Order: sequence, then structure tokens, then C-alpha cells
Amino acid sequence: MLDSDTRRYERQIILPQIGSEGQATLGKASVLIAGAGGLGSISSLYLAAAGIGHILIADYDHVEKSNLNRQVLHSEASLGIKKVESAESRIKGLNSSIKITPVQKILTADNIDSIIDDVDKVDIIVDACDNYKTRQVLNQASIRHGIPFVFGGVQGFNGMVSCFVPRRTPCFECIIKPPKKKADKGIIGAAAGITASIQAMETIKLLLNIGTGADRLENRLLRISGLDMKIKSISLEPDPDCPVCRHHVIDN
Amino acid sequence: MNIELNGLKEKIPENYNINNLIDLFKEGDPDLIVEVNNRYIFPKNYKTTMIMENDTIEFINPNLGG
Repeated sequence: MLDSDTRRYERQIILPQIGSEGQATLGKASVLIAGAGGLGSISSLYLAAAGIGHILIADYDHVEKSNLNRQVLHSEASLGIKKVESAESRIKGLNSSIKITPVQKILTADNIDSIIDDVDKVDIIVDACDNYKTRQVLNQASIRHGIPFVFGGVQGFNGMVSCFVPRRTPCFECIIKPPKKKADKGIIGAAAGITASIQAMETIKLLLNIGTGADRLENRLLRISGLDMKIKSISLEPDPDCPVCRHHVIDN
Repeated sequence: MNIELNGLKEKIPENYNINNLIDLFKEGDPDLIVEVNNRYIFPKNYKTTMIMENDTIEFINPNLGG
């Protein structure tokens, strides 16, 4: 690690859970952030600031004015440009010593494996998307590749987070079934901010193996209720009939 | 029977399962997540999960935006 990097990360290197060794591990890590919207705006910035060596950020859309109440990665100057270009520029502005790979694609079952098997194999998938279909693609890729999927979802003043880790926890599709109704689009930016900050924290803990599964959000779904400001977690267990992960033995 | 539902004390009839509770409280979200005593209940188990005295139950509307 360069001296300038040591200075940049000194406030986290002094944490006993991280240290120089942990910082070097973060520097070698590769994380796919699936979405450059409300969630991806925050998780990408905190993970870049923490020194994740390679961030792949995927989004197909362009920046629109209605994004700006929550998607703080983008600015008025970014209106109309590709979100991944705007994201790359902002993240590089924060930390030019890490690698950013913009992926301007809709993530599908046909392209996800080649994206994960990038030059630096992706270590963790961070969910920052807004639809069930893409989350299915990410969940199933997480199981195939044996890498964690850090789920986050938001709506209104609320959010949810859980770490789905192959062979250690249920998978996303064990717990969240395909929605039968269209979700309301209303959202306050801070709900995405809180939720994605927790996703970034859990991603760092997973990369550095900090704490036990119980300390991380494994086998738990965290619920953030912003209107009455309550945060609760629910215990989860795998669905023995889950068509996606039922054949994967849980390691105890 | 006394229970706590979404943080409120409620009285419900005996021998109620989760489906009965959803009907009783006219919970209309088809994507509902149900938690009983901090444990997630699979939708396929709503019929066989009986509500017990003093259970703490939450009806949760999933948040799937990004």
C-alpha cells in the first residue's frame, strides 16, 4: 500500500477489526453493485471511500430529473447522460486509486456470469436494483458462483436488508416471493441512504469476515421503519422446497 | 385470546391461524410478509401456523424499490 493510501484509510486501519491486513484485503476485493439509483448511489460511495479495489457498477438507464431526490451519485449536470458514466465520474472523484468498471447493461441470466467472471472475479454482489426479475438473476448467480448477495430494498420511508450467503443462509427467493402487485414508487431519499449504508457496512464485514454470521445480517431480515423510527430484525430459515437453493446443503 | 399485532394489543378468537388473522384484519397486501415472535413464516405455512396467547405478530409490506 502506498503512503498516500495509508493516510487516506488511517481512520479505518486503526480499527482492530480492519488493520493494514484488512485494508489490503479490501484493496484486492471486487464488488458488483447492481444499480446506480437510490441504493447504488450510497453503497458505491461508501465502498469506494473504504478502498474496495474494484467496483463494477451496472445500470442501463440515463439520469432523469425525478432521480435527483435520492440518487445523490448524480447531479443536475448529469441529466440525460448514462447513469454508469455519471457514477464512474463521481466515484473516481472520491477515490481515483480504485478501479471502476461501468456496465451499461440490463443484468440478465445471459450476461451475469461473464460480468461476475470479470478479470477480477466478483467477490460480492450488492443489490441496488428496483425489480424482482433482476434480483432473481442476481440471487441465482450468487448461488452458482458461491458468493454473497447483499439484498436491499426500499419504499416510502422504509427499507429492508439481508445478507444471503450460499450454504450459510436461505436465498433471496426462499424469503421474498414474486410480487403480485406493482410497488408504489414513492420514496424519501434518506430511506435509501440508511438502507444502502447498512448494505455497505455488511459488505465490508463479509469481505473481512468480521464477526459471526449472527453479527452480520445472515439468517436475519432487517426492517427499517422510518416513520416511527424503529429497526427490527426477523429470523430467517431456508425454505426446504425452494426451487433455487434447496439442493445446496447448509453448512453449520 | 390476547395478542400483539403490529405493536397494538388485540383480542382474537381461539384456534386462529395466520390466514384467519389476515382475513380478520382485512390485510389486503398479497405480497405480505408475516412474522410471529420475530420468526419469518413461509406463506405456505399460514394455514398450519396457529396463533397462541401472547404471540407478537407483525404484518410487513415488503420494500422492493431501489
